[in-house]
Amino acid sequence: MDFSANHAGFVIASYALSFVFLAGLIASTLIRDRRLRHELERLDTQRQKARS
Amino acid sequence: MQFLANPTRFLKIANAALPTVWAITIVLFAIGLYGALVTAPADYQQGETVRIMYVHVPAAWMALFVYTVMALASALALIFRHPLADVAAKTAAPIGAVFCFLSLATGSLWGKPMWGAWWVWDARLTSMFVLMLLYIGYMAIWAAIEEPHKAAMVARVVALVGFINIPIVKFSVDWWNSLHQPASVFRMGGPTIAGPMLWPLLVMGLAYTFLFLALHLTAMRAEIAARKIRQIQIAEIGDR
Repeated sequence: MDFSANHAGFVIASYALSFVFLAGLIASTLIRDRRLRHELERLDTQRQKARS
Repeated sequence: MQFLANPTRFLKIANAALPTVWAITIVLFAIGLYGALVTAPADYQQGETVRIMYVHVPAAWMALFVYTVMALASALALIFRHPLADVAAKTAAPIGAVFCFLSLATGSLWGKPMWGAWWVWDARLTSMFVLMLLYIGYMAIWAAIEEPHKAAMVARVVALVGFINIPIVKFSVDWWNSLHQPASVFRMGGPTIAGPMLWPLLVMGLAYTFLFLALHLTAMRAEIAARKIRQIQIAEIGDR
């Protein structure tokens, strides 16, 4: 890739935009998954304690 | 398909598959980006701008593919009452919406230097814009209707009716005069792109597909947990 070529800024902007949005999507999906699984684990433990 | 209908069985398979799927995704992105930015030649007419193709085209393919997955899952939910089908459709939507947005945005960034315009109300661009609105509408239904069963019913209908737009997007460049180029990979008579440009495009397409698979399995796992939490909370309220 020749960074000094005509319109190189459009190419860089396309890859940067794709990176930012895909990284954001990955992060938000992983964070939600982790948060909800921890919450479920906490509730399950709480219920087991209440029963015993 | 019925084999995966059991959430416990699905979670077992998803938990086992996810590390491998993420690893394959990373490897495919590394190879695809190397091909796209290093080995693929510049185009004789478009110059370096052609490299936008390697992020624009896979995003567009995935926007269409993910909506097809949503429509298929909605049909399964409607016909067979598959317990995980609504979960699959609901969790695919935000991922598809991001792919659709990226296809529109990178297309716009490609259009400005090539056509001299950020946007034209051309058949391909307009039908992709309609697809974006369908994604937003579908997600808005799940967000607006509090009762999950009612939301699922409305969402299934929207996903199935909206599927009409998918062949319109695909064949828009053949049916109408368009600034957008016609199909050059998935077409009768084979691809028209030269080998050194084609393989990075196909690898990037595969990388986006595996990324979707990894994100979708993770999002489905999270949604199953969210539904279990809701059930526990409702049971606790009932116990009081």
